[in-house]
Amino acid sequence: MAEIGERTVTIAKQRFDLRRDAIERATRQLLPEPISSHYVVIGRRRYPPKQVIALATGLDRADFTSHQARRILMRLGFAVGRVPSTSVVSSDRLQVGESVRTDRIPSAASSRERRRELAEMLTALPGQWVAIKDDELLLAASTPNELVSWLSRHNRRADSMFRVPEDEIAAGGLAPL
Amino acid sequence: MRFPFKDIPDPGGAAVRPRPIVDVVVEGLELAPQACLLDSGASAVRMGAHVAELIGLDLSKAPSATIAVGGTTVEGRLAEVALAVSDGASGHQWTAPVWFCEPWRPAFGLLGLTGFFDRFEVTVASYEERIELTPIAP
Repeated sequence: MAEIGERTVTIAKQRFDLRRDAIERATRQLLPEPISSHYVVIGRRRYPPKQVIALATGLDRADFTSHQARRILMRLGFAVGRVPSTSVVSSDRLQVGESVRTDRIPSAASSRERRRELAEMLTALPGQWVAIKDDELLLAASTPNELVSWLSRHNRRADSMFRVPEDEIAAGGLAPL
Repeated sequence: MRFPFKDIPDPGGAAVRPRPIVDVVVEGLELAPQACLLDSGASAVRMGAHVAELIGLDLSKAPSATIAVGGTTVEGRLAEVALAVSDGASGHQWTAPVWFCEPWRPAFGLLGLTGFFDRFEVTVASYEERIELTPIAP
């Protein structure tokens, strides 16, 4: 029986030996694509499961389903989740392809709770550049250029970008004279 | 315009600190507004030089100065740029002199007196963790 963290799987009639640590290494420099529904958490980042399985196997994404990809990654011990449901509305204020939540209007309390949840997530990313949208982390990257390049490539628009403070000087905003 | 404070983790992650931060669109770079800390102790608006790079601003011939920040000195270059803020319901755009600094240790841009506090009536209601900005008519 295969150990946890190692699986032999058959996808599109081909057999692959997949290892959790190999996938973690392979995704270390991989920027996540936008999440449409499901995601897998690898190295504190959220990826579309199909992006990860395509990378790990070299297969075309049309060769397997999102469900297959999720199941494989779960069996390798990765956390898999689903973003809250949203509805897309058109608005003059939005760019093409951008969505807003319309399923619930957050109260002040729930909005505060979401901000706290985001802040707790950011504690794991000191020194990283982050893009935030609707109080959710869109992306963490090593450089601001990488972050903006990703936003541009994926036609996404953040509400905010900054570096997560790694020390008191970064956090303090010490005033220059 | 009203903005809630932003919850930013303290270094080390032991606590979360609500901060008076607003997101500023610099030179129309709407896909990535820059988080900026309201800093009435700063004499001007300052940002990292990376922001100038992101907006494709050539600072090679810009006026420069050495600025003391947090016990060290940085090289700042000055440029007049378009800035904009919006709370979703309304917004305001203005032009301001901004010092683009290198190296830049703060995690955010700093909105100081010239270019920000002289352009808005600013309320920082720390007890309610909110900011109110009312543009001052030119």
